[in-house]
Amino acid sequence: MTLNRYIAAIVISLLVLPAILISYRVISLGYPLFPATPERVWQISLDARISGPADGATAIIALPSYKQGITLLEEKITEGPLDFSLQTEGQNRYAIWSGATEHEGTPVSYSATFIAKSRYPAPAAAAVNSYPEGVDRAEQTLAEKLVSDKKTLSFTERIKAIAPAATGNWDTSRLRAEDLEKWSVIQNRLGSVKALLVLFRAAGLQSNMVEGLALEENVSSKTDTWIEVWTGTSWQIIMPETGIIHQRTGAFLPLTRFGMPAVRSINGEVSDVRWSLNRQIISQWGIQNERVGSSDRLLNRWSLFRLPPQFQNTFRILILVPLGALIVCVLRNIVGFPTFGIFMPVLMALAFRNTGLLAGLGIFAAVLLIGYLVRNSIDKLRLLLVPRLSVILTLVISCFIFFALVGNKLGVREFMAIGLLPFVILTLTIERFHIIIEEQGILEALRTSAGSAAVATITYIIIQLEPLQLTFFVYPELLFAVMALQTLLGRYTGYRLMELFRFRQLGESNEPKNL
Amino acid sequence: MNLRTFNALGKRGVLGINCRNSEYIMRSNPRSAFPLVDNKVLTKRLADKFDIPVPPVYHLIEHHGDIHKLEAKIAGKPDFVVKPARGAGGKGIILVADRQADNFVTPGGTILSKADLDFHISDILSGIYSLSGLDDTAIIEALLHPAPVFAQVTYAGVPDIRVVVYRGVPMMSMVRLPTRASDGKANLHRGAIAAGIEITSGKTLTAVYHSAVITHHPDTGNPVGNIQVPYWERMLLIAASAFDMTGLGYIGVDMVIDSERGPVLLELNARPGLAIQIANLDGLRRRLDLIEAAPAAIFATAETRVSWAMQTFGASRQ
Ligand SMILES: Nc1ncnc2c1ncn2[C@@H]1O[C@H](COP(=O)(O)OP(=O)(O)O)[C@@H](O)[C@H]1O
Ligand SMILES: [Mg+2]
Repeated sequence: MTLNRYIAAIVISLLVLPAILISYRVISLGYPLFPATPERVWQISLDARISGPADGATAIIALPSYKQGITLLEEKITEGPLDFSLQTEGQNRYAIWSGATEHEGTPVSYSATFIAKSRYPAPAAAAVNSYPEGVDRAEQTLAEKLVSDKKTLSFTERIKAIAPAATGNWDTSRLRAEDLEKWSVIQNRLGSVKALLVLFRAAGLQSNMVEGLALEENVSSKTDTWIEVWTGTSWQIIMPETGIIHQRTGAFLPLTRFGMPAVRSINGEVSDVRWSLNRQIISQWGIQNERVGSSDRLLNRWSLFRLPPQFQNTFRILILVPLGALIVCVLRNIVGFPTFGIFMPVLMALAFRNTGLLAGLGIFAAVLLIGYLVRNSIDKLRLLLVPRLSVILTLVISCFIFFALVGNKLGVREFMAIGLLPFVILTLTIERFHIIIEEQGILEALRTSAGSAAVATITYIIIQLEPLQLTFFVYPELLFAVMALQTLLGRYTGYRLMELFRFRQLGESNEPKNL
Repeated sequence: MNLRTFNALGKRGVLGINCRNSEYIMRSNPRSAFPLVDNKVLTKRLADKFDIPVPPVYHLIEHHGDIHKLEAKIAGKPDFVVKPARGAGGKGIILVADRQADNFVTPGGTILSKADLDFHISDILSGIYSLSGLDDTAIIEALLHPAPVFAQVTYAGVPDIRVVVYRGVPMMSMVRLPTRASDGKANLHRGAIAAGIEITSGKTLTAVYHSAVITHHPDTGNPVGNIQVPYWERMLLIAASAFDMTGLGYIGVDMVIDSERGPVLLELNARPGLAIQIANLDGLRRRLDLIEAAPAAIFATAETRVSWAMQTFGASRQ
């Protein structure tokens, strides 16, 4: 069949074209594959005061870094009169301020917006177990002895077994009391964090001490310290004071790893340190907008994001209307459900954005009913087609005015938005409704109404989906894929679901009935 | 309703509406031929050229100013029919069976004054009954008197016979019989019944009533099956030549058997419905496939197509 091959070629090109464009955008332009996955955008700001002797002070403060597993969107630093430089050491990144400070200290500040990822990157293979500094051989041996019975467990189970040692609430039934006594002395000397780290490392678990901030809207003068342990597939975070295990590393912002302090000074002092974290209200639309708006690549210059904002809004909605049409195709050609007019439900769905779904459906039903009653009573007048439709149109508008005035009186905003319903469509629907009742009975008319309401509702839900809006807005080429599906539906020559019912007599081996 | 029914319908060769539209109507019915069947005046002219009998036309009214001439044209005619040229589904048709002084009487006994009739014709002319809403022509034609063959299984009204024709080959047929529920009209969704007619023999089969299969008329109680339709071969010939007339590859041909004239062509339909399959308890798809696979020789004339069909399309009850 050459026709089928021709169709297949068209459908495949319609699918390949967006695939190529999207791959190009993702790979070369760094677009997110799923632009609508919820991202956690935060704003961090640091304020501090640096003071020191007359010959100058140096302060070293850790900053968030992409190497710590976050995505930095924007950074701002106030240098003031001090010299400023950035320095990277492994995963850590530091801001260094130095110079002569004022008498009461020189204020410095830093702020950044970043996206926290739900997962941190896997550890570099080299960073395997060596004990932290200041732990001697005997202490190491004791730690190894204490955890020796846990070594048969899986990584995850091992973490679970050892973490409670932070509070002393771990399973010590097989340990000797004098060993435990010795350990508590060591614990006091090393501090809870380091002691727990030694136990993890003694148990062969890859683990680090991390200084950073818990991602909560908060202002604090000091950082937190925790231990991260690699389970072989992901990091877990253990709070050294409580032994609580967090699976979601995305709830924390690491600043330094490997025991380096987040705030240090050489020759001077850092005071009034204030870290504050705020959830950023810049939306996903904003993120994409910034990504696209700041690039001069061809596809970015031709992006919908480059439209003036007041025109963008229309296209956010319009771009999903073809999906509504696709649903109409499915309902009519595959299910066989009737609707008034072909795209009437899609237009209704657009109007529901202003009235809301329930109010919209209700108003629609009410106007249809009033319209039908009037249409029925003027049937006797035998008006000609065009004047008759004009009368109904006038009636529809009168209904709108009436509803709006009632809405105004009662303070129901949805009623006042009625003017945005498509009145021409409503007029034609009243006429169709009347004709269907006349020709095919009330049952068929109600079925058609139900079909139209169903399509309008589904379409409304779809065009209201923000993630979908955003995805199509970022990748408008997806419309080609929608067109491919529509083309395929256009060649669907199989039975409609309703026909299975209609022709059921022919499907069964049947005996004629006598009435 | 599941995959099994899906397969069962496929095996039975049932034609679905998607398939009818895309594989048959779109392929074999040129758009340019549609006006020939959508306008009954054009259909009648065409039928005349091919010597196919149609209800004789008494008068055509195209302008409001001509309505007053009607009186002279129907003088001496006791009964006639008024219908819109572009109407469908029986709308706008008034049958006048009798006249009482200046008034007109329908078969149902309704009495219409001269003014009523004039007003109705005026409605027709302004396109009230025309699908497109365009100005229309009113046809005044002879009233047909149905032959008594279906009298035992008709409640009231005129039974009509539909033959569906593909590439000029008649492939399936049914007779639509009005019931009390259908108010004398032959529309199936209004409750009329339809009995399949076997192409090979011209005998009726079982009937469908509201999508249930029945053997007896719901009002008269008489059996609907095994009635021999008269003039059967002639009717198939009329149906077959509708293809030559219009060039429509897939067409429904509606006829009435008049007691004096015999088979008369009422109208042609470029999108005939699929209910005929239920009336025949058989699918169209198999017959369509048989016609497509038939040797080219059988398509030579209407006669060869009809004789091939009469050998091929027997009732296929399982
Ligand atoms: N000339 C006629 N004599 C008797 N009955 C007629 C005549 N014309 C139409 N009818 C009746 O009206 C019905 C519809 O007529 P038809 O010509 O098929 O118009 P439509 O396109 O509206 O179906 C027929 O099935 C038949 O019952
Ligand atoms: Mg008809």
